[in-house]
Amino acid sequence: MPGGKLVFLRFDYRVEVFDRYPKHMPKTILEVIDLKKYFTQRRRLFSAFKSDIRTIPAVDGVSFYLKENETVGLVGESGCGKTTIGKTILRLENPTSGRVIFDGKDITAMSREELRRLRSRMQMIFQDLDAALNPKMRIKDILREAIRVHHDVSDEEVDKRISELLEQVNLKKSKLSNFPHELSGGEKRRVGVARVLSVGAKFIVADEPTSALDVSIQAQVVNLLRDLQDQLGLSYLFISHDLRVVELISHKVAVMYLGKIVEMGLSSKIAHAPRHPYTHILWSSLVEKQSRESSSAAKNVQSGIWGVFDFERPYSGCRFAPRCPVFESKGRPAVCTDPQSEPKLIDVGSGHQVACHFPL
Amino acid sequence: MMEGPLLKINDLRTYFYSRSKQAFIRSVDGVRLEVRKGETLGIVGESGSGKSVTALSVMGLVTGGPGVITGSIEFMTNSDRKNLLDGLQDFVEITQENGRIMSVKKDVIGWERRSEEIMQGIRGGEISMIFQNPKAALNPFMTVGGQITEAIMLHTGIKDRKEAEERAVYWLKRVKIDSPRLRFGNYPYGLSGGMCQRAMIAMALASEPDLLIADEPTTGLDATIQSKIVDLLLELKHELGTTTMLISHDISIISRLSDSVAVMYGGTVVETGPAKDILSSSTSSKHPYTAALLASIPDDYHIREKIPLQAIEGDVLDTINIPPGCRFYGRCNRVTEKIRKRCESEEPDLREIAVGRNVRCWLYYE
Repeated sequence: MPGGKLVFLRFDYRVEVFDRYPKHMPKTILEVIDLKKYFTQRRRLFSAFKSDIRTIPAVDGVSFYLKENETVGLVGESGCGKTTIGKTILRLENPTSGRVIFDGKDITAMSREELRRLRSRMQMIFQDLDAALNPKMRIKDILREAIRVHHDVSDEEVDKRISELLEQVNLKKSKLSNFPHELSGGEKRRVGVARVLSVGAKFIVADEPTSALDVSIQAQVVNLLRDLQDQLGLSYLFISHDLRVVELISHKVAVMYLGKIVEMGLSSKIAHAPRHPYTHILWSSLVEKQSRESSSAAKNVQSGIWGVFDFERPYSGCRFAPRCPVFESKGRPAVCTDPQSEPKLIDVGSGHQVACHFPL
Repeated sequence: MMEGPLLKINDLRTYFYSRSKQAFIRSVDGVRLEVRKGETLGIVGESGSGKSVTALSVMGLVTGGPGVITGSIEFMTNSDRKNLLDGLQDFVEITQENGRIMSVKKDVIGWERRSEEIMQGIRGGEISMIFQNPKAALNPFMTVGGQITEAIMLHTGIKDRKEAEERAVYWLKRVKIDSPRLRFGNYPYGLSGGMCQRAMIAMALASEPDLLIADEPTTGLDATIQSKIVDLLLELKHELGTTTMLISHDISIISRLSDSVAVMYGGTVVETGPAKDILSSSTSSKHPYTAALLASIPDDYHIREKIPLQAIEGDVLDTINIPPGCRFYGRCNRVTEKIRKRCESEEPDLREIAVGRNVRCWLYYE
């Protein structure tokens, strides 16, 4: 961070991005407005009645934007709807309501043909690459197919492009004729990244790209993603439950709890000066942090009941209240459980947004 | 008082045979470990380094098919030393060439019968285990309480069902499950991942084992739940003082819970010693792998300065074609010209460099 610019940074985040890439004003590449995705589930095999169908609000009114050349991290516990957001943004799932604007165009209203063309610019790195790479295809064919679907190019050009890609993701040429199961976890991850790049994607949803990898390999993948961003000007929506990695790679972080964003802001702010009690608990629960500090400061805030959340239960007010230590320590204020007043994301200064009645 | 370590593993080799590749997968290849009474030994290493297979070998759970175990696992039972692999060699015929196993003939049924004979009473009773995936390890057709009761009746002096059930409730309370009496009657699917893991820990401890093996007890749980489980294990460690062998790839968990550490790479132990020496960033005399592993973890400095992480180049060792020489040679960044030849051709031994510190590296042979 350049020292002289610190004053500006405190007021507006955009200044920092501008500072890092001074050639052009970064434009907003993706805007998500009040996105909702409800899944429905029949209680019984033959239920036809409305009352027998239960709704699971996986994503419940999420809004954020992503600028060019920027990484937004999305964190939260499993089951909070992180992956669903990623899939809905790329319209791999149709949203229940809300709008997703990619590069000025509303993709929620697009026809399949339009979408297909747009997909050459937005792609997803899937979490489980054992499932995402066709086990019956060689690596060469997997990459070739991806290029061919989106671009009408000759064989030589495809080969040239593939060897370029291999260089970019640092994969050995000898692996091209292998099948996915013959590769190690890190190599599979590289193939996943290469496939996304092969179509020329600029916006990438990376769904848990480092989970299930060993630390040494995880470091390789994180470095690769960052290098590619610098070289190709990519934008990432980086979904992960690994807080350290998110903090490291993201410019901004959004913290999700049960389908809603509860806090959003600069990654350093989220990590070191969180305002929402949930974010505080998340970051203070990092095991290594506890071992180092072992002070009771972090532990005091940690209390409340830690059970699984039941989506079926009707909300009344803040959905974090049942687990919230602040709610307990303030003597269970009525505003937290009032059905009419679910906290909204409010700006608490310098682009930092919190959805809490009593921010820390 | 007993003397000597509670568990002593010597030159343990566990091989599996891959039919498609026509070769042995040398998952564990010459492991030497000691667990002293009352201490927690942490085993760190990447996936495929043989951590879990070591644990399974101790538990006698590597039996079926063409799996081979050689070496010795000595376990103290009531001041009596017992080799858990005693007599198993009678059921296999091993052809060796230059110290390498080339082919194996095995009497599978005889082997299993013998192994069961030894392990009966020890497995689950004197050595018990917390498995990686609690949801898969618990029996889905039995209530959580029922499973703990069963363990108590099998392995402790309590033979009365009512009494055993009371004891099970006590253990559920001990691992901090809310309303233990209610949870007693729950089936595993009705519990969250964190709760299942607590139930699993309760079950493992209920038989009052001499040695507890915890295989990745927090993997696959959310960060918040993870720290709760670590807190619980830490508390139980102080209260009960159970000798524990903790296996994890997460160095932060190991550094929090263990007294001594063994670092594994490619089926062998490359470094052992006190946890505070090995896992602190200050001591310089470390195996290059341990040092690189510690450096690849994102810390505050990397995050603040936004500098790239120090990755270990290359990939985890392929345990089918183990090259001659040091196993880490291909990825090592501290090879000097002086020792290069040795690194390439000869495998170093686990050598004591200070009191209680053993390192398997040619760098420390001078």
